[in-house]
Amino acid sequence: MEEQGDHRKKGAADEVEAQRLVYRELKASGRTAEAHAALNRLVELDPSGGTATFAHRERAKLGEVGERPVRIAILSSYVLDPLVPFLDVECRRAGLTPAFYVAPFNQYTQEVLNQSSGLYAFGPEIVFVALDLEDLFPAVRRVPSVDDLARGRAEIRGTVAGLVQELHARSTALIVVHELTFTGSSPHGILDNRRGDGLSRWTEDVNHDLAEDLGAQAHAFLLPLRQVLGRAGNERGQSRKLFYMARMRHTDGALRELASYSMRYVKPLKGLTRKCVVVDLDGTLWGGVVGEVGPDGIQLGPVAPGIEFVDFQEALLNLTKRGILLAVCSKNNPDDVMPVLREHKHMVLREEHFAAVRINWRNKAENLREIAEELNIGLDSFVFLDDNPVERELIRQMLPQVLTIELPRDASQYRPTLENLSDFELLALTKEDEQRASQYRANRQRQALELSSGSLDDYLHSLEIRAEIARAEGHHVPRLVQMLNKTNQFNTTTRRYQTPEIERFVASPDHRVYVLEVADRFGEHGLVGSAIVRRERDAWRIDNVLLSCRVMGLSVETVLLKRIYDAARLHDAARLVGEFIPTAKNGPTADFYRRHGFQLAGEVDGAQAWTLDPRVDRIEDPAWIAVKTTGE
Amino acid sequence: MRTLEEVVSRVFGVEPQSLDESSSPESVEGWDSMGHVNLVTALEQHFNVSIDIDDVMEMGSVGKIREILVAYGVRA
Repeated sequence: MEEQGDHRKKGAADEVEAQRLVYRELKASGRTAEAHAALNRLVELDPSGGTATFAHRERAKLGEVGERPVRIAILSSYVLDPLVPFLDVECRRAGLTPAFYVAPFNQYTQEVLNQSSGLYAFGPEIVFVALDLEDLFPAVRRVPSVDDLARGRAEIRGTVAGLVQELHARSTALIVVHELTFTGSSPHGILDNRRGDGLSRWTEDVNHDLAEDLGAQAHAFLLPLRQVLGRAGNERGQSRKLFYMARMRHTDGALRELASYSMRYVKPLKGLTRKCVVVDLDGTLWGGVVGEVGPDGIQLGPVAPGIEFVDFQEALLNLTKRGILLAVCSKNNPDDVMPVLREHKHMVLREEHFAAVRINWRNKAENLREIAEELNIGLDSFVFLDDNPVERELIRQMLPQVLTIELPRDASQYRPTLENLSDFELLALTKEDEQRASQYRANRQRQALELSSGSLDDYLHSLEIRAEIARAEGHHVPRLVQMLNKTNQFNTTTRRYQTPEIERFVASPDHRVYVLEVADRFGEHGLVGSAIVRRERDAWRIDNVLLSCRVMGLSVETVLLKRIYDAARLHDAARLVGEFIPTAKNGPTADFYRRHGFQLAGEVDGAQAWTLDPRVDRIEDPAWIAVKTTGE
Repeated sequence: MRTLEEVVSRVFGVEPQSLDESSSPESVEGWDSMGHVNLVTALEQHFNVSIDIDDVMEMGSVGKIREILVAYGVRA
C-alpha cells in the first residue's frame, strides 16, 4: 500500500518537474503569455507555498500580459508577505492580473496616517488589514485582569475604528479588516467560559465590536478569520514556530484558505460575481436516472441515499436569496421530469425556482447559449453543475467563459463544493437582488404577451410601463455601485466607480446623479437605470448612463436622457455632451446618443463626445411610458 | 523518497543538477528569509521531522542541512 502511495507521489512529482521544464522552455523562447499559462498549470499541479512563491517571482520577471488588473494592498502587524503568492494564484485563476503592495512589517499606523506613504502612492483598490490580537494587546498572553480586559477591548475598538476612518479619508479602496483571533490556550483552562475574565468570551466581544462598527460602513468589511482558520484546522493553520522564526503566524494550509476567502471580496469589487447557476438533473439534483427508475425510484429524501441531494438543493435555494438565478439543462424527456419538479414530495427546488428550463436532447452548449439569451445575461456570468464529466468537458471546450465546476463523484461533497465557491458574493444585498427570481418569472409572462401582441407598439403600450426618475440619495448608493460594476451591455462609459466616489457625486453641487425605477403590469423592476452628469461652465457633460439588461428594449433610457435634457435647458446650458467609450460588450449602447439627435463632435483617447444643443434640439418621452418625476 | 536536492530544487524552482553541497542563500535565487521558511516547512513535511529553531538558523547550505537532517535520523 505504502509503496503504491510513494509511486503515486513520485508520478505527481515527475509531472511537476515536467511542467517546470515546459515553463522554462516557454520563458527562454520569449513566449510570455504561454509562459504565464504554464505557471498557472504548475501551481495547480503543486499547490505548495514554495511553488506559489516561485511562480510569483517568475511573473515579475516575465512582465505582465493579462487584462483586468487589480491592485491589492496588505497592512499587518505580523509578517503576511507569504500570503501574496497564494493570492496571486487565486487572482490568476479568476482571470485577474494582480499588483500587490505589502506595507513594511508592523508599520501599518504610519502607512495609514502618512499621506505620502507607499500605500497611497500604490493606489490600492482593496486593502486587507491583518492585525494580531497579541500585537494589539500583549497582556492577553499573561493573565489579564477584568480591568485590563475592559481597557484592552476599548483600545482595540478605538484603534481599528481610527485606522479605517483615516484610511477611508485618504483612499477610495475597499477596506477588509481581519477578525482578531486568540490562538493560545486560555490560562484559565476549562474554567475560562465561567469567569468574568475568561478569554474566549472576551475575544467574541472584541470581534462583535468590530463587526458592529464596520457593518455600518459600506466601504469596510470584517473578514471572518476564525472561520477561515477553522477550515485549515486551527492546530495546523497557526504555527508559533513560524512566529518565532519569522514573525509569521499562518502555515501554508491556512494561507491558501485565506487567499481563497479573500477572493470573496476581490471578485465582487471587480464585477466578477456570477449571476446564474445551470444545473443538470439526473445524478446532480437527485440520484439515479428518472427515465429508467421513475419518479418514485430516484434517490431523494430524508435518509441516505437521497439526503445528500436534498441538502444540495437547499444550498442552491439559498443562493437564490442572494439574487443568483437557477436554470435547468438536462438531457431527458420532459414527460419523465416534470412530474418530479412539480410533485415529488422531497424536491426542494420547484419549477418556479428556475428562471429558465431546457429539457431536451440537444447539445448543452447550444442550450446554455439560448438560456443566456433568454435571461439576457452574459455566459461569463454562468456556473455549470453537471455530474457527467463528458458534458463538463464539452462546456469547458465550447464555452470557456462559463465556470464549469469539477463536481466530485461523491454526492455528499456537492454541497460543500458549491458553498466553497467565491463567485457568488455581493458587497451589498439590495432589494433588487432579493426579488430577482420573481422578476425573471414576470419576464417570462411578458415574453408570452409579446408573442401574442400584433405589433411592437401594441406590445409596449400593453405593458403599461411606469417610470419614476429622481435625484439619487444616500440610500440608493449600494445599488448604484452594484450596477456600475456589473452592467456591461447598456453602459455608455463602463466607468467602475466605487462607493466613496458615488457618495461624493451625490453630495457634490457640480454633479447630478439620477436614478430610474421602472414598473409594469407584471411587477416591479426596481432601480434599473442611472445617469451621472457633471456641470461644467457652459456644458452639461453626461459622464455615464447605464441600464440594467432587464429593461432594455423598452426605451426607458430615453426617460433618463429627457430628464437630463430638461434640467440642462432649465439652467440654460449651451451644450449637452454625452461621452461614449466602446468596449467589447457595450455594442447595444453604441447608437444611444445618435438616435436621440446628438452629433459626434470628436474623439479623445478612445472616448467619443456627442453633443446636442438643448436650446434648439428636442427630446421627448416615449408615448407608452407614464413618467413620474420627483425633485428638481 | 525524494532526495534533499529534489526538495530544495522544488522549493526554489531550480534544477536539481545545479545544486551541490555548497549551495546556499548566496548562490540560489529565492533563498531569502521567506524562502528559508518555505524550505524548512517543506523539509519538515517531506522527511516527517520537527526541526529545532537553533538548527533552522544553522541551515546555511545544502551540506549543512544534510548534516542536521542526518542528526535527526533522516537518510537525506
